[in-house]
Amino acid sequence: MRKLILLMLGCVSLAGCANLGVEPWEREVLARDDMQLDSNALDTAFDDHIYFSKEGTSGGRGFGGGGCGCN
Amino acid sequence: MANNDTKIGAALTAATCGLLGIAPSTSVASDAAPAWDVDSAFLYYGESDGRVQDLSLSAHATRDFGDERTLGLDVSVDSLTGASPNGAIASDGPQTFTSPSGRKTYDTPAGDIPLDESFLDTRFAVNGNWSQPLARLYTISAGLGFSSEYDYQHIGANVGLTRDFNQRNTTLSFALAYANDTIKPVGGLPLPLAQMGDAVGEDQSPANRAGDSDSKNVLDVLLGVTQVLGRHSVLRVNLSYSDSSGYLTDPYKILSVVDPVTGEPIARTPAPGTSGPVNVYLFENRPDSRRKEALYAELRHDFSGKVLQVGYRYSTDDWDVDSHTLESRLRLPFGESSYLEPHVRYYQQTAASFYRYSLANLAPAPEFASADARLSDMSAVTVGLKYGRETAGGNEWNARLEFYQQKAKAPGEFLIGNQVGNTQMPDFNAVILQFGYHFKL
Repeated sequence: MRKLILLMLGCVSLAGCANLGVEPWEREVLARDDMQLDSNALDTAFDDHIYFSKEGTSGGRGFGGGGCGCN
Repeated sequence: MANNDTKIGAALTAATCGLLGIAPSTSVASDAAPAWDVDSAFLYYGESDGRVQDLSLSAHATRDFGDERTLGLDVSVDSLTGASPNGAIASDGPQTFTSPSGRKTYDTPAGDIPLDESFLDTRFAVNGNWSQPLARLYTISAGLGFSSEYDYQHIGANVGLTRDFNQRNTTLSFALAYANDTIKPVGGLPLPLAQMGDAVGEDQSPANRAGDSDSKNVLDVLLGVTQVLGRHSVLRVNLSYSDSSGYLTDPYKILSVVDPVTGEPIARTPAPGTSGPVNVYLFENRPDSRRKEALYAELRHDFSGKVLQVGYRYSTDDWDVDSHTLESRLRLPFGESSYLEPHVRYYQQTAASFYRYSLANLAPAPEFASADARLSDMSAVTVGLKYGRETAGGNEWNARLEFYQQKAKAPGEFLIGNQVGNTQMPDFNAVILQFGYHFKL
């Protein structure tokens, strides 16, 4: 886990990442609703609630879900 | 009143502009723009064989106050009914159980997996979240959440901070959430690994219970990076840590006590004049702390208007439940304003260290044990399809149909005598049907 954190922090600080990405005028596709990472928020909220109730692990995309005593 | 003022203001501006012979500026149009963006949906979730059914209504509303200040509100109501596996194993003979209230009994026919049919619940949940810029390149957010069921209450708070780098192509986010949940089981809190007793009268306390309620606290920490990879791709990677402490046991789950040689349930006789279990069952007990770590990665890529979404999660915890989840959606636009979106998901987990198919009689009792199939070796598959269509007014309605199948397996080292090759796990299939409407107010 510690290695992964270092890797992520490293990626942000490294100049290598600066080569990734686009210029502000190249964001036409990225700005579309269907390219937003939370575009289907309601579907994923329903899914997270169902899988939280039925499986042994939860969370990851956001917080661990829950707030229910789901049987 | 504010709406009227806006309309009057817009009308006056339009009239003035008309008199002056100039076109109204765009700021007038944005003043009159819809304030709320609402995503609403109705969901049906139904398991096979009369098990859990859920009807749910949810709405997610956001309001943009300009300057990247947004308010998000979520409201959700759930109605749950149906039968839930109680953790006991199927037996060659009929079985009787005391209901969670401790005042009634229910029966399971020979050969069937025992299900508690008294499962009935209504859940109400509300969340609010505020987000705004803190300084150039920084955004801060804070939220509160609350949910309530007849035997469970949740209150939670969260804060988050994001920082953009590299011409906003890289975003680093950090978030914290804290929750305090209170559980008040029907019939009281069972004593850990105590025996399920006979049914008692209205004026008596059920056997082997200690107290009415308990609580748990959950701390979540999330560190994320979002990276634009190119004009058509964006990647998110999250690392999360979750620390739960307090009452983590399921008060309604039990384990069968079995003969250490044959693996068959140990018989008991209810007290004269009462009804009660005819086999020995113990209430489960889980550790009072759980620490989870997860890695989550999600990629979105556009192929000339088609959007592929692939997500993967690895989760590990100190209960020894390790899981892998792989999920993908592909959004396929067609016609002028419609899309189809197939969805597949695969989930697989290992059993918790204290998972037991049953407990051997006379063996030294373990400190922790649970026969909850959600803590066993398990895999699950979801396959679904969503259809959406945009209306002339810019709103969208959509429908989603999915099938979920779960298969569990008891780890072989815990099977005793006749159980080897004869385990019955409470596997199930479920249907998810959802109708949604996305509109602006």
